[in-house]
Amino acid sequence: MTTTSDLDRVGMILLRYMRRPLFVLLFVYSVGIIGMVLMPGRVVDGETTHMDLFHAFYFFTYTATTTGFGELPNGFSDEQRLWTIFCLYTGAIAWFYAIGSLINLVQNPHFIQSMDGFRFARKVRRNAEPFVILCGFGDAGSLLARGLSDHRMRAVILDVDPERIKALGVRDYTVAMPGLCADASAPKHLLAAGVEHPACRALVTLTNDDDTNLKIAVMARHLNPRLRVICRSTSTRHGATLRALDNVTVVDPFMIFAQLLYWVIARSELHNLNAWFVGAPGVTLGAPLRVPQGEWILCGFGRMGHRIHRCLHDHGIGVRVIDPGEGSDETETEGDPVLAQADHSALEAAGIGDAAGIVAAMNRDADNLSTLLSVNELNPDVFRIVRQNSHANQVVFDAARTDLVLQHSLTTARRILKLLISPLIQELIDWLAQREPTRTEALVARLQAAVGDEPPHLWSVRLNPDEAPAVTRLLSEEGMVTPGALCRDARAFSQALPCEMLAIRREGQSIMLPDADFPLGAGDELLFCGVQAAELMLQATLHNPYTLHYVLTGVDPPRGYVFTWLADRFGGRCRGNTSNSRHPRT
Amino acid sequence: MNFERVVFGFFIILTLSLNAAFVAHGLEAAAHHNVWILTLAIIANLVAIGLRLGDRSETGALLLASGLVAGALLITARIIWIVTVPSGWGVPEVGAMADIISIARGALVANIIATAILVGDTLLSRR
Repeated sequence: MTTTSDLDRVGMILLRYMRRPLFVLLFVYSVGIIGMVLMPGRVVDGETTHMDLFHAFYFFTYTATTTGFGELPNGFSDEQRLWTIFCLYTGAIAWFYAIGSLINLVQNPHFIQSMDGFRFARKVRRNAEPFVILCGFGDAGSLLARGLSDHRMRAVILDVDPERIKALGVRDYTVAMPGLCADASAPKHLLAAGVEHPACRALVTLTNDDDTNLKIAVMARHLNPRLRVICRSTSTRHGATLRALDNVTVVDPFMIFAQLLYWVIARSELHNLNAWFVGAPGVTLGAPLRVPQGEWILCGFGRMGHRIHRCLHDHGIGVRVIDPGEGSDETETEGDPVLAQADHSALEAAGIGDAAGIVAAMNRDADNLSTLLSVNELNPDVFRIVRQNSHANQVVFDAARTDLVLQHSLTTARRILKLLISPLIQELIDWLAQREPTRTEALVARLQAAVGDEPPHLWSVRLNPDEAPAVTRLLSEEGMVTPGALCRDARAFSQALPCEMLAIRREGQSIMLPDADFPLGAGDELLFCGVQAAELMLQATLHNPYTLHYVLTGVDPPRGYVFTWLADRFGGRCRGNTSNSRHPRT
Repeated sequence: MNFERVVFGFFIILTLSLNAAFVAHGLEAAAHHNVWILTLAIIANLVAIGLRLGDRSETGALLLASGLVAGALLITARIIWIVTVPSGWGVPEVGAMADIISIARGALVANIIATAILVGDTLLSRR
């Protein structure tokens, strides 16, 4: 439906532009050809010859296009030559006019736009791989696209800014990422981007405007109610509206930022695990940041400042606020916020000398960086967390002497990436956040033992006949499979593979950190974390019934009918022969 | 050590060895090729096929397939030998001998593949 309308538009513009040149060509051709036929030719045997219509058309074609093969099929008479001069000039001029109009047309911005739209829609329609629609290609959008590309997931990108779409064209993604410069809140653009496409996995709205995001989410819900929508929203009112819809996940960048900040301050072991899972550079598992206890200073009390304050306050962490005071009329804080720019005197007034740490969370990078300079001068021992607003300032923040830089577009992109690629990981982190820190520490110890210094490799396996034929057959024969058995090394019964099963998803319910003897069921989705090689080893276990039997029992079963029969016939004696000698000796 | 692997490996490698022994040397010289070796190769091959029946793994399927190919070719070679030597004892003429040896060499390829799969599978499982 949408593609024909695009094509119609292209066709209509083409016709409207080319109507006059085509008429001119038609007229000049008719006059020239008819004139050529009427002109008396050479006299042969006392009779005047005339050119026939086909040869007149042939002659005019090569003359008007200035090819000029000469006088064909026979030599011309003087009258015909006179007419040839007329034909040549009018024909050539008409062609130049037509070609000029065509060149004009392809430079017409409307035409270019409709052609782009048409090509984009065709590219999306022909794509058979699963993909995600990304509305908004700012900092968070491009970071998310990079993350998706790393996971070989396709994205279709819509943005209103032509410069960003041009920037998209020069990125080196590992998969095709078609982009269109268009307003994503217009339904026809959403349709062109494949909202109704069967391979479309989710729609992510990441524009900076909450109203636009809400509009896109609502449109997408109407166009395809089954499509998963992830919507960026900083407004509580919109958030409530959106959360009421099913299939819609609201992502509040400020909330995520505040939550992350709380984890850094109070749950550093959880922050460490989370950062390790998402592959943040320079993070070592089991080496959390050492964050001092005490009162914190928060610079900036805008929308983000409010959320940070509430989040820290709710968890019993004392916060002193410094804010310029512009527009923050809601003073719900107990204690007096220092109403000033976060400069030397304000920092001193807030008690920088005895504070545990400082969070520079203003919405201008220059303010945050200058606050940082003052802090370094006043109290270099304080723990410094700084908010980075623009991805373009990365180099400065890298050079600045801080303990932690948090960039909210990056944290948002990572959260959305986790939701898209492995939703169970986020559930696991949230689950751990609600429980005592010792659980997290226990998990970290297990992962350290399994994975070591390697970067984490997360993958999920569904226990269905495609992904795990051996396991599903065993389960259908009333056999029991446990996480402990699956994670056993098929090469040596006593050893475990370098991987851990983190979570199980069963019929909409999630089971976090299952015990080693938890019975698995057919259709379960299992989340693993380990080294890359472990996935291949595990695949062998999932596919090969004999390997599965071995990891379950430690016995190598007889394979052929002959040895099965022998094993049945001479039970005990032969089992001793066929079993693997390396039994667990425990 | 797995007893089944010992027995199966014995028959697979025995087939390969007998097959190689049979096809060694030139095509025409009938004195270089012993019909008993060919017959023994067929028997060893059939035993290997029988041992592999019932294996549900992918490598098992591939081993069975290559065993069937080798068996079919070796039996064809033996049948040609029987047909071209009507009296029972003696050697086939040069043209028939060339046919027999080239078919048996084809079977040798299938046996090499089967052995390679067996060795590769054993090395990969590293037990």
